[in-house]
Amino acid sequence: MDWNCTLTEERLSDYLEGKLSPAEAAAFSAHMASCANCTETVAQVGSLVNRMHKFEMVEEPPQLIAKILDATLGPRTQKESWRQWFGWISVLWQPRFAMGLAAAVASVVIVSYAAGLTPAKLKKADLSPANVLRSANRQAHLTYARGAKFVNDLRVVYEIQSKLQPEPEPMPVSSPAPAPQDEHNSIPPNSTPQQKSQSSPPASRTQVRSGPMFAFLSTESLADNLAENSINISNRSAR
Amino acid sequence: MRRHTRRVFNLCYRFTGNATEAEDLSQEVFLRIYRTLSSYQSAFGAFPTWLTSVTRNLLVDHYRRTRRDRQTDSIDDSMPQLEEKHSSARAPDKLAEASELSIQLQRGLARLSPELRESVILRDLQGLEYSEIQAVLQVPEGTVKSRINRGRIELARILTEMGLKPTN
Repeated sequence: MDWNCTLTEERLSDYLEGKLSPAEAAAFSAHMASCANCTETVAQVGSLVNRMHKFEMVEEPPQLIAKILDATLGPRTQKESWRQWFGWISVLWQPRFAMGLAAAVASVVIVSYAAGLTPAKLKKADLSPANVLRSANRQAHLTYARGAKFVNDLRVVYEIQSKLQPEPEPMPVSSPAPAPQDEHNSIPPNSTPQQKSQSSPPASRTQVRSGPMFAFLSTESLADNLAENSINISNRSAR
Repeated sequence: MRRHTRRVFNLCYRFTGNATEAEDLSQEVFLRIYRTLSSYQSAFGAFPTWLTSVTRNLLVDHYRRTRRDRQTDSIDDSMPQLEEKHSSARAPDKLAEASELSIQLQRGLARLSPELRESVILRDLQGLEYSEIQAVLQVPEGTVKSRINRGRIELARILTEMGLKPTN
């Protein structure tokens, strides 16, 4: 292949980047071997390109990014104050915080639905502090009343159960002394069945136990049960 | 963001040879990008190519504007002056650390014609592929190749004249 200095210059980049065909590369090398000028040019350009490829990018001035943000997104002070106040939010977007947050929101929603708070029922007036307080108070009382009713029902069930059961057990060794039985006899006849059963002389252990167990929950015979409790306690301390 | 900024700044800095001008131009580039972001179509190409293209157009505008302002036709006269003014009067700390080679290269680039200069910068300093340069400059691939080739040879000649020894 006929090669000359012009061709060497024209194909120099191809040569450096290895894009010459084998025949062209051979001709290129053959010409270089015979031409000092071209050899020098190739060396100079090759060295320059190598150096330029190794060049690191110049670091931009530190204020440049801030300036760009100023020019595009608005003044920096605004941006900074926004970051100061809401910068911590970005932390919440880490997966574990985000999942925790989602779980917390879900449980709040479930609890509020269970407590009867549905968005559909919610009115504007419900959001005023006085109304919130009132409804919270009402809800608390309702919950307490429901709980008390449930326990009372349970108590009746237990009483009926204990009534229906025969009394096979003899008095245990650790039965109360005769003194409290005198107390029990003074109870008026229209008291609750539980107290009546306790007042009958051979009281079974279950009856003695079940009395104080539920006594604090029944409101109508509170005074009587208090008296009974104090007797039991005094009996134990006497022993 | 930082990567793009650095890229744009470097392109501007290598083209103008002046850090202050490069800073102002970079800012202008991003402002333009920000305003025309809605008109950006992915059909045009990858975002970096588009960014480079916007930067390049702005640099050409800037080059023409400053040439008219100075009433000089020769870039050989105006550019080294800019570089000298920059390196003696106001050199940012980071840029002052740039090696002697970097400064010489900058002077050499300033003496190239804008077409050759941008081609060499895009190819050898920004590391773009031929196809990307073709998209940015909107000229045929053969032209891109020959501009890069001529730019390299001329730059090597200029640098040798300036006394830079080739190293291997």
